[in-house]
Parts: sequence; structure tokens; C-alpha cells
Amino acid sequence: MGPVIAIALKDLRQRLRDRSALVLGFLAPLLVAWLISAAFGSVAAFHMNVALVDQDGGPVASGFGTFLRSPQLSELLTVSTATEAQARAKVEDGSLSAAFVIPKGFSAAVTSGGSMPLTVLGSVDASVAAQVARSLAGSYTAHIEAVRLSVATALDGGAPQARAAALAAAAADLQAPESVVPRAAGTRELSSVSYYAPAMGIFFMLFAIGFGARGFFLERTGGTMERLAAAPISPAAVMVGKSLATFVYGVASLGTVAAVTSLVFGAEWGPLPAVVALVLALGLTLVGLTSLVIAVARSERQAEGFASILTFGLVLLGGNFIFISAAPPMVRTLSLLTPNGWALRAFTDLAGGADWTAAVTPLLVILAFAAVTTTLAFALRRGVARP
Amino acid sequence: MPLVGRGVGAEARRWTEEAAIARTVEPHPQTDPVAQRHEVGIQMRLEARGLTRRFGDRVAVEDVSFHVAPGETYGLLGPNGAGKTTTIRLVCGLLTSDAGEVVVDGMPVTATATRAKAHIGYVPQEVSLYPDLTARENLRFFGRLYRLGGARLRGRVEEVLELVSLVDRADERVESFSGGMKRRLNIGASLLHNPALLVLDEPTVGVDPQSRHAIMESIAALGSAGLAVLYTTHYMEEAERLCDRVGIIDHGHLVAEGTRRELVARVGEKDRILLTATGSLQGFAESCMGMQGVDRVDVAGSSVHLLARDGRSLLPQVLAAAVAAGTSVRSVEVDEPDLEAVFLHLTGTALRE
Repeated sequence: MGPVIAIALKDLRQRLRDRSALVLGFLAPLLVAWLISAAFGSVAAFHMNVALVDQDGGPVASGFGTFLRSPQLSELLTVSTATEAQARAKVEDGSLSAAFVIPKGFSAAVTSGGSMPLTVLGSVDASVAAQVARSLAGSYTAHIEAVRLSVATALDGGAPQARAAALAAAAADLQAPESVVPRAAGTRELSSVSYYAPAMGIFFMLFAIGFGARGFFLERTGGTMERLAAAPISPAAVMVGKSLATFVYGVASLGTVAAVTSLVFGAEWGPLPAVVALVLALGLTLVGLTSLVIAVARSERQAEGFASILTFGLVLLGGNFIFISAAPPMVRTLSLLTPNGWALRAFTDLAGGADWTAAVTPLLVILAFAAVTTTLAFALRRGVARP
Repeated sequence: MPLVGRGVGAEARRWTEEAAIARTVEPHPQTDPVAQRHEVGIQMRLEARGLTRRFGDRVAVEDVSFHVAPGETYGLLGPNGAGKTTTIRLVCGLLTSDAGEVVVDGMPVTATATRAKAHIGYVPQEVSLYPDLTARENLRFFGRLYRLGGARLRGRVEEVLELVSLVDRADERVESFSGGMKRRLNIGASLLHNPALLVLDEPTVGVDPQSRHAIMESIAALGSAGLAVLYTTHYMEEAERLCDRVGIIDHGHLVAEGTRRELVARVGEKDRILLTATGSLQGFAESCMGMQGVDRVDVAGSSVHLLARDGRSLLPQVLAAAVAAGTSVRSVEVDEPDLEAVFLHLTGTALRE
């Protein structure tokens, strides 16, 4: 083991003297995680300032105002009143997330069985807020439709026309018997730092592929690989030593991000044994991917190119830049083709309060990635350590 | 500044002891032309037998055989592309031969022959060090590859640093070193494990004259200390100065080998002795013609030209004949044919063509 450890320690020493490796492996993920934490806070803290433009003044419009100011929406919305011109100006300058314009005659149209559109003003710069506003308006109009349907059904069933208003009021007070509460495998709400800390940690950890592959080709161009090959050690020992360095660097990088974001930024990572197992498995995958790049590339430049393509391909597919749960179904499916996608799934489940069993399947998949890539690398290039 | 400093004595003793315990090599089959020159019982550090290596259709070396005894410096002399580096790489197990074998201290050398490789110190042609590590860190790392550790490693690192005169720069990064310092450290990194055989692949290429001189002196000292040295070069003067025996390699074939004198004799080149003198030149010339080893004598004015097989050893006899003939010798010059002439004779091309 002596020479293997010597090679690994030498590689680590060189890597720690390389400022870019230090920055990308340790400082950048912490900085990005901190920025995201500071910028977004938690998912639960999402808040909108909206305006209600009531040009109608009728009971249905008043009911919509009551709906917007209900306790259930108080954490999400701050509602003010404005004229349409004021609301439009404020939405455009960004001081309002959205505005609802209820046109004159809206209540009369609704109660008489007619229809009239409720306008939602949204900013192009706040598409999520506009979507939420449209959903709220849609929810309220659906509720009105339900009341109208109830009253119409009662009248058709023989109820006197004189009771229509009372029936409408009673139907409006009724709550739906069931409601859907979306919840992941866990029990806690996921904060953005709990998602982006592992996401950024894994992203920057993947840069180790480039460092490892580049280091291998530098040994060749610098002639030191020839010395290694002339030494009384096997080619496999050279590869194992260099892989060990990549593994330790990757694990140290992600481990540091996990520790610092937990302790300083309050990120949730989940049960320690499961997190450690996932980090180690990702370290092994890193070794497999690095070996694969070395096996495929023929020069330092090619290795850097392949490593960059691989890193950015994996993080784009795996969901390191976006909340994967909010991504389209195809993206969510594609993320399962990547080890980082599986790791993120496990980390978010664990951070959400799931127990360690939530990490078992992702862990096995990640280890399979490591095994397949390593085997493929050695199959592609046997005796890779020879100069 | 020579590479070899105060550590040489210890090195010499150690290497001499190692030489004493080296195995006794059985004589080669008599069909092997190199083996025919072996003496029964000589202890060989390196034996290369019938080495052949092709790269695609191109034959890099073919049927190359030679040996290096303990304390012997053997030079492979040939122009660029002659097959020297391929031969070296085969000797060090960096390449696998298509035919033939390499044996170091009785152990066959292959890519995975770790025991045999532990006996070889390899100095690559280019400086092969980690520029972002210090000299000491480089040496410690390469020492660990040869399974040195603890106090022994620390001790050897200090000895080698002293040997290469880099003690005061030991903790500076190699990237800050001059070319000559890097070259010295490059050789030092190959000496950490006290190899029995030092293999140097053109170590003076691209080196300034001062560093070149230092490297040559150091290699000569290492050879004198009992180390077997295999040295490749395309500089005729280096081979003449350093090597006990020289193998001339061209187009992948070892076309001749032996001591300089043997090679010169083999191609029939003669020494020239040029004397300027006064007095009875004709009588002196006639005396010289009668000497064994003198093939021809010409007199022109005050000059006498002799063509002889071994000019240096004949010189005392020639000067005695001059005194006897009453000739007063003003100057003497011995012009010995060099390896350049041998190479030209054997291959039809000059070394640097």
C-alpha cells in the first residue's frame, strides 16, 4: 500500500496547492449555497404583494377580497386596493407581484348566470407570482361555479326561487369535504438552502473529474508517468493511487459543504449515516467518471473538454440548477439517468424528514453508476497507467 | 559544479558491496556473438539478448544484444532515431519487446517485474519532476515509490540532496530552479534507492556546457564508485570520455561494440603521429619503419608522419629512436581516430547527419 498512499498523498498535495481546485472544491459551493440561502430564504417564505382593483363593488367582488385576505393566504399575500392605472404601474415597476381587476357588473353577471372575465395583471419578470395569482383567481371562480351549480341543482329539484339567495349563501359557506395536501416522503418543508446546498456541493464536486483527468495527462506530458512506470509498482497501483486522491478530494469537498451549510446556514441534510453513505458513493462515482474520461481522452485538452461536457451535462440533467420537483416530467425522468439526480432525490427526501430507508435505492443506483463507469473505463483502456 | 560530492565514498562502498553479491551469470550460448566475449563467472548487472521491437511496420530495434558489468559504463552511441531510447525503454520495462529479453541482476525485466525494476535507476531524457513540489518533496515521493520510508528515506533524501548540491534549495519548488539544477535533481531522483544499474537516456541534451560538464563528471564518479551505468548519447565525445565500452547503434541495429580501441581496430583505422624535428630525419624515419606496429613513415621538410596501430604506446619507442638517430624533436602530436570515424566507417553516415 505504500506507493499507492504515496501517489494519493502527492496528488492531494498538488491539488491543494492549485488555487482553482481549492476555490472550486471548497469555497465556491459554500459561497453559492450562502448566496442562494440569503436570496431565497425558504420555500415557505415565498410572499407576494398584490392589489385588488374593485370596479364592481358587488357582493361577489367583495367575496373575492375576503378570500384574498383570508387567514389561509395571509402568509402568502399582502393585499392592497388600487385603481387599475395605479395597479398596472406598480406591477410594471415591480413593486406589486400581481393585481386583480374585477370589472364593473361582475357580481350582477355572476348572479344572473352570465359570465364576465376577471383580469389578472402579472409582471413578465415574476412569472411564478403571476401563475400563483392566476391560480388564486381560478380557484375563486371555480368556487363561484360550484355555488351556481349547487343553486341551479336545488332549484331544479323544486326549491322555491325565493330561496335562491339563501341557498347561494349556504353553498358558499360550505368547504370541500376533502383537500389535497402535497407532501414528499418526509414530514418537513424543504428550505431552498437544504436543496441548493447538496445541489451546489455535488455540482462543484464534479469538477474533480477535470482535475483528476488533467492531472493524469500532466503526468504524461511532464514525463513523470515514465518514472512511475519505471518504478517497482504495478500500473494498477498508479491508477488506484490517483483514484484514491480523486475520491478523497471529492468526499472532502462535499463533506465540507455538508458540514458548513448545516452548521452555518441551517441546511437540513438528513440522518448522518445515510448522508455519509451517499457522499462516499458519490466519491466512488467520481472515480469511475474520472477513469472514463481518462480512458476516452487522448490528450490533456481533450480530457478537459470531456470533463466539462460531462460535468455540465450531468448537472443540467440531474437538476442541480433547478428544483427538480418543479421541473417538467421529462426533466424529472431524465434526472434519474444521472447519479447526481439520484443523490439529490435522496438528499431532498432525507432533508424533508424521511428516514434512512429513503436513501437505499438512490445509494444502490449511485454505486451501480460507479461500478459501470469504472468497468467501462478499464475495458476501454487496459494498462492505462503506462506511458 | 560536479554532482558527486562528499557522499561518494559511502556510495562507492555500498555499490561495491552490492557488486560483490551480484549473481554469477552463466555464459551465453556460443551462438550469441556478445556471449562469446563473456568470460565464465563474470557478474553481469544487465544482459540484453536479442531485443526486437516494432511499432507497426517500423522496426525500432532488431536483435540488439549487449551486457553491462558491475562498475562498467556502457554507452549506446547513435544518431537521433537510431533506436537508443527504445532500447532504454525496453531495458527499464517501459516497453514490451516483441522478441528477446532483458535480465537485471538475474531477474527478467518486464512491465510488471517489480523486483527487477527495484534494481534499476532510470533517468529519463526530459526532466521528469513535479514542478509544483519542492526538491525534498520530489525526492521523498520517488523514494516512497521504491518502498523507502521513515528514517532511511529521510537519510537518503539528505544524502542525495548533498550529492546533487541542492541542500540549500531543498525546500524550494522545482519550478524555480535553473535547467542545470533540474537536471541534477532529475539524476538524483534515480539514485535514492541505491540502484545497481543506472540507466541514463541522453541526460545532457539541451544542457548548457557548464551543467553538461558537471553531469559528465558526476556520471564518471558514479561509474568509478562501482555503479553499472547504461548511457545513451549521440555525442561522440561523451561516449569517448565516459564509457568503458560503446555499442554503436544505427537504424535499430547494434552494428558494433567494444572499447574505443577495439572499435577503432575493428574498422582498421590507424593513429597518426606527427613530429617536427631537425637533424637526420631520414635515418630516424628508417628506424621507425622497422618498429612493430608502424605501417608507414613519410618525411616532408621538417615533419615526420607515422601511421601506426597504437600511437600512444609506441611513442616512447619513437622518441628513443629519435635520440639514437641524432634527431632533435621539437613537437609531437598523436592523432587517434575517434568514434566519429568509426561510425562513419561502419554506417556510411556521420553521427550528426
